[in-house]
Amino acid sequence: MSAPKSLWRTVRTVVREPTWPTSVPRPPVERRTGVDFDTDWSRRYGVRLARAVVLDGVTRPLLHAVASPDIRGLDRIEQLHGPAVFAANHASHVDTPLLLASLPPRFRHRAAVGAGADYFFDKRWKGALWAFAINAVPIERNRPSPRSVRLAGSLIADGWSLLIFPEGSRSPDGWGQPHHPGPAYLAARAGVPLVPVHLEGTRRILGKGANRVRPGRTTITFGAPLYPETDEDARALAARLEAALAVLADEQSSDWWSARKRAAAGTTPALTGPAAPAWRRAWALPNGPRRRSPSTARPWPHLSDWRT
Amino acid sequence: MKALVFERSIPKYAAAAIAGRISPGRGARVGPLSLKDVDGPTPPGPGWHRVRPRLSGICGSDLATIDGHSSRYFEPIVSFPFTPGHEVVGELDDGTRVALAATLACAARGIDPSCPQCQAGRTNLCERQAFGHLSPGLQTGFCQDTGGGWGHALVAHDSQLHRVPEGMSDETAVMVEPTACALHAARLVPPDGASGAVAVIGAGTLGLCTVAALRLLSERPVLVSAKHPHQKLLATGLGATAVDDIERGVRRTTSSLRTDNARADGQLTGGVDAVFDCVGSRQSVTQALKVVAPGGTVVLVGMAGTTSIDLTPLWHREVALKGAYAYTAEDFHDAFGLVAQADLGRLVSALYPLDRYREAVDHAAHAGRRGAVKIAFDLRTERR
Amino acid sequence: MPRPGFVLDVDRSTPPTLFWHGEGYRLEQLPPGSRVIYPPEPLAGLPDPDAAIRHALRNPLGDSAPLPDLLRPGMRLTICFDDVSLPLPPMKGPDVRQRVIEAVLDVAAEKGVDDVQLVAALALHRRMTDDELRHALGDRVFDAFAPNGLLTQHDAEDPDNLTFLGQTEQGEDVEINKRAATSDLIVYVNINLVAMDGGHKSVATGLSSYRSLRHHHNVRTMQHSRSFMDQHRSELHSSNWRMGKLIAASGVKVFQIETTLNNRTFPDQFSFLSKREWEWSAKDRALFAASSKALDRTPTRLSRQILHGIRSPYDLTSVQAGEVEAVHAQTTEHVYRQQLVEVSGQTDVLTMGLPYICPYNVNSVMNPILVMCLGLGYFFNLYRGKPLVREGGAVIMSHPTPWEFHPVHHPSYIDFFDEVLADTTDPLEIEKTYEERYATDPWYVHLYRTTNAYHGVHPFYMWYWGAHAMQHLGAVIIVGGDPKAVRRLGFKPASTLRDALEMAEDVVGRDPSITHVHTPPLLLADVR
Repeated sequence: MSAPKSLWRTVRTVVREPTWPTSVPRPPVERRTGVDFDTDWSRRYGVRLARAVVLDGVTRPLLHAVASPDIRGLDRIEQLHGPAVFAANHASHVDTPLLLASLPPRFRHRAAVGAGADYFFDKRWKGALWAFAINAVPIERNRPSPRSVRLAGSLIADGWSLLIFPEGSRSPDGWGQPHHPGPAYLAARAGVPLVPVHLEGTRRILGKGANRVRPGRTTITFGAPLYPETDEDARALAARLEAALAVLADEQSSDWWSARKRAAAGTTPALTGPAAPAWRRAWALPNGPRRRSPSTARPWPHLSDWRT
Repeated sequence: MKALVFERSIPKYAAAAIAGRISPGRGARVGPLSLKDVDGPTPPGPGWHRVRPRLSGICGSDLATIDGHSSRYFEPIVSFPFTPGHEVVGELDDGTRVALAATLACAARGIDPSCPQCQAGRTNLCERQAFGHLSPGLQTGFCQDTGGGWGHALVAHDSQLHRVPEGMSDETAVMVEPTACALHAARLVPPDGASGAVAVIGAGTLGLCTVAALRLLSERPVLVSAKHPHQKLLATGLGATAVDDIERGVRRTTSSLRTDNARADGQLTGGVDAVFDCVGSRQSVTQALKVVAPGGTVVLVGMAGTTSIDLTPLWHREVALKGAYAYTAEDFHDAFGLVAQADLGRLVSALYPLDRYREAVDHAAHAGRRGAVKIAFDLRTERR
Repeated sequence: MPRPGFVLDVDRSTPPTLFWHGEGYRLEQLPPGSRVIYPPEPLAGLPDPDAAIRHALRNPLGDSAPLPDLLRPGMRLTICFDDVSLPLPPMKGPDVRQRVIEAVLDVAAEKGVDDVQLVAALALHRRMTDDELRHALGDRVFDAFAPNGLLTQHDAEDPDNLTFLGQTEQGEDVEINKRAATSDLIVYVNINLVAMDGGHKSVATGLSSYRSLRHHHNVRTMQHSRSFMDQHRSELHSSNWRMGKLIAASGVKVFQIETTLNNRTFPDQFSFLSKREWEWSAKDRALFAASSKALDRTPTRLSRQILHGIRSPYDLTSVQAGEVEAVHAQTTEHVYRQQLVEVSGQTDVLTMGLPYICPYNVNSVMNPILVMCLGLGYFFNLYRGKPLVREGGAVIMSHPTPWEFHPVHHPSYIDFFDEVLADTTDPLEIEKTYEERYATDPWYVHLYRTTNAYHGVHPFYMWYWGAHAMQHLGAVIIVGGDPKAVRRLGFKPASTLRDALEMAEDVVGRDPSITHVHTPPLLLADVR
């Protein structure tokens, strides 16, 4: 056998995973991505320190430049010290870092972000990046599995706050989507307060489907913490959260007093928008439909568009 | 719900095309196919049902797609992202086991009146594969809206569902779809001819199913070219004569001569009436043209792509070149009898869970070398 | 939870199988339809070995009193232990013998026993070097006993130091070490690596002389031991048991301590050697490629040194003490628990990859006779019930089989190979014509007694060890061996496994069934 051939065979032996004999039953796949991604390392002291440096030294100044956040309602959570579950509406990738950066320092460096296991943790490097940058922990979008519930529970027990978006994914059209009861369930289970947070303006900065960041102004409104009542079930708490978020949105777009009055009268506008065809929903958005920037609009499609 | 999803991503196509060239099946590692947690498809209208796949085969066309060398011809009639898998046996919500006829024709697309082909019962040739209330997609498994067999759920129209007879195993039932293709191809050639013999090139799933279908339709001798020992054994078991070199086999069976004996690529003087090319490569089509009798027919059963072939023999010997795509409802119905009779369930060589899709694709891509025929995903044991 | 042993049916998806090849290893593609027998995975070790040993000494099996009750001031106590041939490869320190002997000495000191001697029970094996003794016994024991002459090695040729105890009912002479025979108590410390080790064989063989040994170390006994790993069908076992009973009847008291190890044979960097090939990780594959290539390219002397430097991270899985037969019954169960693999049906062709080591070449050269002995003596006999290979079948062994002998350790082997095997390879013929002369040759006796040489008769015993296999088999083929040496052994040389399989077909017929034993680690095939 010639030397290059032998070398090639050796390399192939090393590089190629061996195939399994057909008759041998396979053990279940040990998945290390998605919900099974292990993020414990990202809460070790050294990693926390590094993250704090990045968060305060890079992420916050960057967000202040890009999103110019106007933070309201911090007084409502002044009394809050222990761990809590922060639940916010979700329209943009900017939401998570923005909310994290807007939290008071006692929460900011001790908060974990529930992030869609399928999107943020589908590759090991992605998982590692998010776990480091924003202390993301993998969570299922639709229904949390026992594993992620356990993880969230142990995080809260260790004094960590959680940031979760109850809508499960970013809004496709600017209106809110139906809430999943996940955050309410976790708060009720751990007996910690649930803090509604309303984010406004992030969609214009980087909405779903947008491919570049457009600096703009944002408003972050913290609501009063909701304390789970004894034997209140998660669904009831989730409903309270949804209502509270709607009132916060109303408060943000009008004023506190009118919002209170509409809340009392039960006429707070729903976050999910009118049940109507797409164009009317877009029309009814508080700030109107999103504009396409003229630079990307072409008067006539190029021929190359047809060829691909 | 877990599903393998094939996305549109140019860099990943490129990577898959390169990896697939290095070693077949490698495209699954770097390409646009990935295991995802996705929302299940919703039935797009009345007459649609949710199907939970039980077994789902890996087909040659799937491999070509994964390795990034399927034709761009398909672009307008597929919609991304899709979940592959069109060889499906599954169960409805009420537990009925069904086999899926994957083609999405006028009936499934809600087009009424249907196109002339559908009206004539040739639903495989439907002219409206990019229209109607579904996204474009020639079959389930290439359409964004329906889901596919390589996932925990798909939706299927009444016109696609065929009840699996009691007592038929899932392994046998999953072979109905490829067998229907083979049966459809076999029916494209009239069952009698001058020399009688026909040839099948390739003894993979399609080749073996075609042998079985030809056996069902007529008594004529079938020659099949088989590379691997297990293929020879199976082909012989199905009633064909397995040969290493199809040209030599045809020459001996039909007593024809080579026009120029000194040249290995010489044309045969005679040949077989019909050749079923179950590979679809340049070499296989060339070989088919070489061994087909003047005035005979070459049927492309395996998916062919862009190739360059010397068509002189086609012109000179008035050979008909025919495609054979999918099946009609009748073919599909008859395939149930054929799989049971020929016991084609034994062609299912190995089952894999979705999690091991890379290994499954690798196994399918090297099925011949590794002594296998059909590789399928087993979704019966998956948590749903 | 360790997985039990496993019989793989090779198909076209099966990756190539590991074959040991002397001081190296290779991957070989077995034809589809072959079987590969994999040993069980290592059992869990005892969590606290020292506590387990102390417990065993105080809670003996059978009709034996606890060790402390057997000890009294003024008595003669002799502690005997297995020699360098056990375990294989040598175990990572502390050796089990050290642990047990220290525990025994603790009790003896507590009870005020003054007259204690340690004897290495090496029968006709070579004397151990000081380093080897130190490794087996540990520094504390060695330094306390060796300088005072209280650590001795059994000398089967010292007429002043042997005691004749009598004859068994079958006329077998029983002669053992005088110090042991005249002690008030013998404590024998065993390592039971395979099912053959231990029991009455410990004293009756380990401490005996040529005069005694020849009654069971002969062709007839070995041909009637099927196999000698299966006590119920082993003539070797029966003979030793008869002798053991006579030793007990003559008033020699034995307190038997037997230990079993799991089969964690290779340290981490070589762990792929005991893994199943399709489970090899990228690291395993890289280590395999790197180490096999490196070993191929290093001079044999160096690769031999590297491999003989391997110390196995064995764990202690059980320790039993007390009356010999009761102890041995339990020990055997523990050995079976680690090694037994159920195999259905015999095979036409048995393939095996022979490693660099066998019981008789620790820190030495594996000469052609030892290659034969490891393959046909040991690996072939690792069965219970029926042999793995059918009668008239073929064995294919993979080993370089160099024409090379260790001049100090194996002097009589050289002459055996040059003179005896050049004449005949028939064990009976060899026994009749040559044994007596080699056994009594004064030069060999001198070397055995004063240097580290095996006894003059030892190569004969190696040959007898394979007598059952040679009688049973239709062909023996060695892959990759020195053709001259292989032919001298009476076997057929082949350059590749494929050639060897073709040659085997000439003997066993076309499309033979093939079975490969994936050892080491050792396994015992329970053939149904």
